[in-house]
Amino acid sequence: MSSYGLLLRWQLLRLRIVLPLIVIVQTALAVSVVLGFVFLAPTVDRQVALYLATGAPTLGLLVVGLATAPQLVSQAKLQGSLDYLRALPVPRLAYLFADLTVWFVTALPGLAAALLVAALRFDLDYRISLLVVPAVVLTAVTATALGYGLAYALSPSATAVATQLLVLVVLLFSPITYPAGRLPAWLSAVHDVLPFRAMGDIVRGALTGDGSGTASAYLLVALWCAVGLVTTYTVMLRRD
Amino acid sequence: MLDISHVTKRYRRRTGAVLANDDVSLRLGAGEVVGLLGHNGAGKTTLVNQIVGLAAPTSGRITLDGHDLVAQPALARRLVSLQPQGQVPLDGITPRQAIELLGRLRGGGAATVRRRTTELIAALDIEEWATTVGNRLSGGVRRLVGFCMAAVVPGLLVTLDEPTNDVDPVRRTALWSLVRRLGDEGHAVLLVSHNVAEVERAVDRLVVLDRGRVVAEGTPSALKARVSNPLRLQILLAPGVPVPEAPYGEPSTLDGRWWRLHVAELDVAPAVAWARDLAAAGTALEFSLTPTSLEDVYVELVGGRTVDREGVEVVV
Repeated sequence: MSSYGLLLRWQLLRLRIVLPLIVIVQTALAVSVVLGFVFLAPTVDRQVALYLATGAPTLGLLVVGLATAPQLVSQAKLQGSLDYLRALPVPRLAYLFADLTVWFVTALPGLAAALLVAALRFDLDYRISLLVVPAVVLTAVTATALGYGLAYALSPSATAVATQLLVLVVLLFSPITYPAGRLPAWLSAVHDVLPFRAMGDIVRGALTGDGSGTASAYLLVALWCAVGLVTTYTVMLRRD
Repeated sequence: MLDISHVTKRYRRRTGAVLANDDVSLRLGAGEVVGLLGHNGAGKTTLVNQIVGLAAPTSGRITLDGHDLVAQPALARRLVSLQPQGQVPLDGITPRQAIELLGRLRGGGAATVRRRTTELIAALDIEEWATTVGNRLSGGVRRLVGFCMAAVVPGLLVTLDEPTNDVDPVRRTALWSLVRRLGDEGHAVLLVSHNVAEVERAVDRLVVLDRGRVVAEGTPSALKARVSNPLRLQILLAPGVPVPEAPYGEPSTLDGRWWRLHVAELDVAPAVAWARDLAAAGTALEFSLTPTSLEDVYVELVGGRTVDREGVEVVV
């Protein structure tokens, strides 16, 4: 078996107690966004419903990648097990990709549940294209790579603060579950650079065929993905 | 095999620069078991971290079998297997699973790794916990599993950082014989410890680090021969009694009420008679004469406490 396969097995064994809990919480979060955010909107027309239905899975992917995964990296750092894993004769990328796989799979049930609940609640039909695979994979990998980059580069306490702040920004101040037009111009401009709106757009585009998954949105997310992967990889290689 | 040459490691901290290793040189041959002794903070773990590529020396060279480990940290991780100072990550995973996974990650074949895992678990008598998840294991068992993870597919060099912490005496003995066997199989073993008395039984040679520098190196008996007075007189002083003047035995150390003096062989008879007089006068409660241990040599090398004539402890 390859290093990747062995590490994947190790991670799944290591997390087998917490993973089901994470899946439950993460699924509940995605479903809650669909059902709960309705109360914030005065009227639920088809556009609002589609934003909620497709934004909830994106938020789920973001929360797993930006909050849950870095918390577990911080924990491993504090326990000293991260250094132990770094001393193993394993390619750094195998370690990174094994973790990315675990977090991607963890986020999938929430994604499916949110779409299903939204379809029933709002009586929606999706027009799912094959682009859903790259859109979801790219969003999940980017979120996790950024979360890992943070957790590797910062101290555990700084990571805790940064991830909480990010979740707040993503949940309330990012045009993922609502159109960007509702934001003040300056905040909308900030989201031209940050990856969050683009993530929402590519997932929504792939699920509804509304054309929001533009090439530039994919490119922006891919750039942030590279930033996260390069940061994580560089910090992994760093020696004291 | 392992050649550490003039390695210096300086860390920058907010409080200023810390010199963790200062011009350290040492060699280990194939099949040799070498103990690296030193106080907490003497620079032992820093040296190990540089060997396995977790830290890079500020200056100096580390080679193993001719390969430059500093330039090739990925190769270092393949050639060196490590039991870290901290506990190995066993949450959610059983000892058998962890040891087998490590063996496979180190490139061992499935059948060989399974057989070797069974052997190690049996040799350390930890079968009853072999399928218990790590969260429920005691510190000592986790430590032993950490050793097995380093030994299941050993590298050319095996580094063991405090392998017997929290381990019971019977299993310690079993572990030392496994360490010896690694040496007999041709692996170089670097054994990091501050447990002087115990390491003495397992090693061919000792290197003593103090404040980042190598202060002594040699076989246990060669190190013991450095002490000119090879016998030690231990006297338990009565409570409240001032430390008397010592006509025999210099230097002396005081540990609580235990007063230890090094005695030359020629002085043994009068020194014992003197100690007997102290006991008769009520100054001493008991006394004994023993050969100088490696621990005494170690204390002398890296500094301990001595007493001056007024019985005041002085740090040397």
